[in-house]
Amino acid sequence: MEPLDRDLDEASLDLPSEPMLLNMGPSHPAMHGTVRIVLELSGETINKADVQIGYLHRGFEKMCERGTWTQVFPYVDRLNYVSPMLNNVGFALAVEKMLGVTVPERCQYYRVILGELARICDHMICSGAMAMELGAFTPFLYLCRAREIFWEIFEEETGARLTHSFGRVGGMARPPTPDFKAMVRVGLARVLTLISDAEKLILKNRIFLDRLDGIGRMSQEDALALGWTGVVLRATGVPYDVRRANPYMVYDRFEFDVPVGTRGDNYDRFMCRQEEIRQAARIIEQALDQMPDEGPINIDDPRIVLPPKEEVYTTIEATIQHFKIVMEGIKVPAGECYSYTEAGNGELGFYLVSDGSGTPYRVRIRPPCFATTQGLSQLITGLMIPDVVPTFGSLNMIGGECDH
Amino acid sequence: MTVVELALAIVKILIVVMFLLNMAAIATWADRRQGAMVQDRVGPNRAVVYLPSMIVRGVVFFPPALLGALAVFTATRAMPAPVAVEALVIGAQFAVFVTWLGLLVFCAAARRGGPINAAEEALARFDPRSIFYAGVMAHVLAFFVTQAVPLSAAPTAARVVCVLLGALLVVTGAYTALRVPEGKVALRLLGTLHAAADAIKMIWKEDFIPPKGDRLLHSLAPLLAMFPALVTFAVIPFGDKLCFEDNGDGVFGFADLPLLKRTVDQAFTCGGHVASLQVADLNVGILYIFAMAGTGIIGAALAGWASDNKFSLLGGLRAASQMVSYEVAMGLSVVGLFMIYSSVRLGDMVQWQAEHAWGIFVQPFAFFLFLAALAAETKRIPFDQPEGESEIVSGYFVEYSGMKFGMFMTGEYVELITSSALLVTLFFGGYHLPFLDRDGINVVFGETVLFQYKMTHLAVSLTYALAFFGKTILMTWVQVFFRWTLPRFRYDQVMRLGWTKLLPLTLVNMMVTGIVVLAVDSAPEGLRSGLQVAADVSHALVAVGGFAAVVALIAGLLEPIDRQRTLASTSARFAAAAGGTKASPQQA
Repeated sequence: MEPLDRDLDEASLDLPSEPMLLNMGPSHPAMHGTVRIVLELSGETINKADVQIGYLHRGFEKMCERGTWTQVFPYVDRLNYVSPMLNNVGFALAVEKMLGVTVPERCQYYRVILGELARICDHMICSGAMAMELGAFTPFLYLCRAREIFWEIFEEETGARLTHSFGRVGGMARPPTPDFKAMVRVGLARVLTLISDAEKLILKNRIFLDRLDGIGRMSQEDALALGWTGVVLRATGVPYDVRRANPYMVYDRFEFDVPVGTRGDNYDRFMCRQEEIRQAARIIEQALDQMPDEGPINIDDPRIVLPPKEEVYTTIEATIQHFKIVMEGIKVPAGECYSYTEAGNGELGFYLVSDGSGTPYRVRIRPPCFATTQGLSQLITGLMIPDVVPTFGSLNMIGGECDH
Repeated sequence: MTVVELALAIVKILIVVMFLLNMAAIATWADRRQGAMVQDRVGPNRAVVYLPSMIVRGVVFFPPALLGALAVFTATRAMPAPVAVEALVIGAQFAVFVTWLGLLVFCAAARRGGPINAAEEALARFDPRSIFYAGVMAHVLAFFVTQAVPLSAAPTAARVVCVLLGALLVVTGAYTALRVPEGKVALRLLGTLHAAADAIKMIWKEDFIPPKGDRLLHSLAPLLAMFPALVTFAVIPFGDKLCFEDNGDGVFGFADLPLLKRTVDQAFTCGGHVASLQVADLNVGILYIFAMAGTGIIGAALAGWASDNKFSLLGGLRAASQMVSYEVAMGLSVVGLFMIYSSVRLGDMVQWQAEHAWGIFVQPFAFFLFLAALAAETKRIPFDQPEGESEIVSGYFVEYSGMKFGMFMTGEYVELITSSALLVTLFFGGYHLPFLDRDGINVVFGETVLFQYKMTHLAVSLTYALAFFGKTILMTWVQVFFRWTLPRFRYDQVMRLGWTKLLPLTLVNMMVTGIVVLAVDSAPEGLRSGLQVAADVSHALVAVGGFAAVVALIAGLLEPIDRQRTLASTSARFAAAAGGTKASPQQA
């Protein structure tokens, strides 16, 4: 029998330790099926994180180049699929900027209200999912219930619960329903109570706060260098909100605050979202008061807006006009423009190039998530595996707009 | 061990295992499956068994009719005075119960489906809650009225009450059978069929073993996880000792079983044979539970290792370290109780609590420490890091499917029930109910006797057993409540909490308890009798509080749901116009 310790010296008695590589995602409950993080672990601590995106890449920008300008709307619905209305409005504004037209005031208010409703949905789901991934299931159910109220309103207004495709160049697909204001008022009050109920469950919970407080901190300089915008940037203390910095539509007429954080950690991001929900509710209330009940929704330009259906079926001019817009598309003058709005996650920009035909020459988007996701590996390096969950959740990375 | 003792042991094991497995299924449903129902997703929770109305009528009619026949049969038997008193009291209570429950059911049916006759119309006008309150008052009234019946008149009164009860049961059963609608009746059982559907699904699913995993250990782990959970219940008493009289041969045989002693005194002086209502009355008592719970770690650790999956490995590591750490705190947190109860046998502990005060009053601090340690030991939120489904997918059982996964789940939920039973036994008086002694109800404060009512041995033992299972179910509900409310800790926070907070606190608790126990032991007689009065007051608090809680709970369940409806969307309005009930989320 051989001696067991035949050629062991002191050093080789130590256990060999090498970092463990762990593939987190894309099929991982916290990764939403849209991202993969290759983690280099020592124990549970993350030494290195390699964030790999692209699992939801659909060639969106290329797809836009093969239809008319109006046919892009269904695609932008699927960018940030948590708040499609904001993308609709953003794209409509971009094309209108190229055309040099402004929609009637009533439509602007309508867009603001629908957009802010979508923003509330977006923030609610982000916060709710974050709480759920930390194990607190009930707040998520409360917030889903709240979202359901708004989705009913969207269903009533647009006919679709999620992918509305409701925006149009020069207006909206349909005017508001007669009950629109009453519905939003009733729904908003219910949603705000549900949100406070959900907050009561988690914001006094020491376990929940311990999981968020001081985790995933980002400095102002780094956030700006990475090109962060939206809630994640404001949580670091930079008060940059497109609605305030560069007011579009009628945002300059509303009183609202831009909540900012101080440390840029998960807690700040969570609380900024919650406060933004309340500010959005304020905007909606003011907009409901100011929005005229009568008046056109679409601009009065037969080259851009489809004629009413009864005229299409009765007059030859309207028939031809309808045919031209549908088959050839709206003729956007040649040129290029960059238009940006405040979407659910931050600055959503559209860089459009037109060659004067009815089809976009190039649609390039600047998704807020793309910049945000760049910072993820920096955020989670040095943390533990469980910290990935709230950190990733608080960034609200949406694969649809990130992979463009 | 005689043959009859063996037979009794088998019966006891069957009772315990049936209780554990059934409750585990229901707890799984309450814990994991309710999400589907809350979110209104279509799933097996919508599973319905359609029964022809004739069968439903039979199911509704025959059990009450049988009970009624039994009551009438009792009335025809000869009754000595003490039995007659008991029959009178129980019969009257039962009759009151049947009356208000029947009225409540008919009221609800009339409100929901519309009254079918004038009596129901009148009934439907009552608030269900007032029917219930009237019922509670009738219970109390009936108790005192039956107490007032003189001993000589008891047999006659008992016969009248029994016949009355029989008639009432038959009438109620028949009327309920009449109310069963024609055609098929949907039996949904609140969605608890979901648990059955889950079990069927798991049995038929593929049993997957990772190709590079360890086949033997992979198959062994679920067994090791489930076995300790089941066997820990063995030492928990689910009822008081039973005393059988001897039939003359001096040996405990089957012939002795019908000879259950009619009454026992408080000290349980039993001349015949004693049978305890616990599977194994071990002298190591609770230490056996800790030993067995310690074995549960191996199952989780093996599963994590044998699965050949990095998430499993992390889960197994977390499970092992967490359970080992909290085992220490768990064991030390109840040392204070051992000092006070001066025993590690669970039966003795319950007896101490019955004679003095419940554990929650003497060791409130230990209760919270033990609860936290127990939650960590059963790997439930907020301590479910080993599973941590959003972090490490499912932790140590991520590579399990089919019935092996089912065994992990069953083990986890059996552990939940067992831990609830343990909490009940250590801190909530086990099977004991306040003021219910072995010889009946004795409302005594110190030396002052306020009220006494003698009960038979059988009645007391049955009440004890029901109380134990009821308390366990309540405790399980509380633990399910936690899971639905709390988020989970981070792994290192758990370890820090265990070693730097819980462990020192348990040590402090131990020291303080030791000092207090010494002080009380050497205290003058006056102080000790004062403590006994305080203990009796704690019993009174539990009795009043428990009664109020039960009444409030039932009244709360009966509260009419005040739905505020805003038909804001056209689809909801269309549905309402068509007579449908599209539940609009705008409802309050």
